[in-house]
Amino acid sequence: MLRIYRRMWQVNWAEQWQYRANLVMYILYWIVQPIIYIAVWTSIASARGSVSGLTANDFITYYMTMLIVDQLTSEVVIYIFAYKIQDGTLSGELIRPVHPILTNTLMNNIAFKGLTTFVLLPVWTVLFVLFQPNFASVTTANILLTVPAVILGFTVNFMLSATIACIAFWTTRVWALYRLYGVPFALFSGQFVPLQLMPKIIEDIAIYLPFQLFKYFPTQLILGKLSNEEIWRGYTMDIFWLIIALILFRWAWRKGVKQYSAVGA
Amino acid sequence: MIVQESIIVEQLSKTYKVSEREGGFGAAVRGFFKRKYRDVKAVQPVSFKIAQGEIVGFLGPNGAGKTTTLKMLSGLLHPTGGKANVLGFTPWELKPEYLRSMTLVMGQRNRLSWDIPAADSFLLHQAIYRIPDDEYKNTFKELDELLELSPLMKKPVRNLSLGERMKCELAVGLLHRPKVLFLDEPTIGLDITAQARTREFLREYNRRTSATILLTSHYMADVTALCERIIIIHLGQLKYDGGIPELSRKIAPFKLIGVMLAGPNSHDLSKYGTPVENEEDQEKRYIQVRTEDVTVVTARMLADLPIHDITIADPPIEHVIAQAFEG
Repeated sequence: MLRIYRRMWQVNWAEQWQYRANLVMYILYWIVQPIIYIAVWTSIASARGSVSGLTANDFITYYMTMLIVDQLTSEVVIYIFAYKIQDGTLSGELIRPVHPILTNTLMNNIAFKGLTTFVLLPVWTVLFVLFQPNFASVTTANILLTVPAVILGFTVNFMLSATIACIAFWTTRVWALYRLYGVPFALFSGQFVPLQLMPKIIEDIAIYLPFQLFKYFPTQLILGKLSNEEIWRGYTMDIFWLIIALILFRWAWRKGVKQYSAVGA
Repeated sequence: MIVQESIIVEQLSKTYKVSEREGGFGAAVRGFFKRKYRDVKAVQPVSFKIAQGEIVGFLGPNGAGKTTTLKMLSGLLHPTGGKANVLGFTPWELKPEYLRSMTLVMGQRNRLSWDIPAADSFLLHQAIYRIPDDEYKNTFKELDELLELSPLMKKPVRNLSLGERMKCELAVGLLHRPKVLFLDEPTIGLDITAQARTREFLREYNRRTSATILLTSHYMADVTALCERIIIIHLGQLKYDGGIPELSRKIAPFKLIGVMLAGPNSHDLSKYGTPVENEEDQEKRYIQVRTEDVTVVTARMLADLPIHDITIADPPIEHVIAQAFEG
């Protein structure tokens, strides 16, 4: 099995380099957004001293940490898998004796992360020099404590998106649905602002939704901003959503493959 | 010796639900709100059995349901009804043990990754199918000798020609030495030499491994060279299942009599039988005669005409099959 993943990595890694222009556009969009948030919030916080108790440094460290967390937990399943159902290229993978999503799509996604890291690193370095953030609250213990949260966050995120991608078995196209999924994602993940700045009701709901597990929870964990109780709750939610995501995915996959119409030659 | 069935198909059928609408803007808008669906019966209940080691030609005009049947038998499609058993497995359960012992080769862009050299896809295939290194080397060497793959392996697949890609698809699909082969147009896009080699290779592969092969092809040469048995399907229904000579007898109980006449070529042959064109032999003139009348007609012609040379042959298989499609 390890050999399969190794070879898939090689293939997917080689494939990634074929689309450099594509990648640059994509990464610019991805990275520019948090940079804008940093610029906006730091100027507000600097002008007023703080925003609801958050200083300029809090905002900088929050978004800069989130850039890294997001790099690790984000997924591109819809982009690399859903179209295969639509145009029938899944056929070749479906009759191989390994699971298409859990092997090829997964490795493709990880290879994409590997590639985008090359863009993220210089950008991050420039931001570091520019904003001079103070990361004093980050300890080795926090980093170690965050590792499982990042892995779980990626797994849950990946499986939920894979479930949505499976809907393409019925509807052929899933972009609209994925966009719709992006709305609660943006609202509850902590991607715009740290969740504690959101209205209380949103913060309360967000705790029970999976989205904060992809961004807010690992980010705050590494920055040492969470109480023990919050850490436990975060991990409980991670496990809870992992189980839900796996059940949903398994169900959608099994039902979906029956619907598959293997279009094209 | 007990003949073991590799493939058992019972009342297998597939109906697609297809949304349809007319062209034009208004129809497009209406189609958005209210889709009209139509059932397309791609395969109506068909049944057949194929024994281990058989090579069977699966024939029919475009849209007959051949590919759909192959897709069901390889596990890609769930049938609407009926049962299939291949090597003891129900194909669409997609059990890894099953997938490891069969192959489906169809068209292009199937197993090969588009953007990377074929060599990488081959190695990936080796890992996925858990082929030991030495076995992989041997198999690849064999395939390389027959299909001349080496010069193609380093180029990205997108830069290969249709024929080159087909060779690679076929080769990669056989690396794991499958016991059952579903081949959809395996020689499409190949030049004459490569076609002949592929046939030779498939026959040899079948002889050595007793693999079962079900293939579709529009090249009758593939079919006559490889298959002792053919299954004809038309509009989703099974039309014929049996040997090629029997098909000729059943569908087209005719012989072709070809004569070369001495002297001026003005004799009217239509009173002996139906004159037909034979593109392969322009020197002789041909007539089609019912098999039971051949002896009588030949005797009459020999008596009446200044015959220089005479041949009696079966009609070409293409004609027979074309007639079977219509019937």
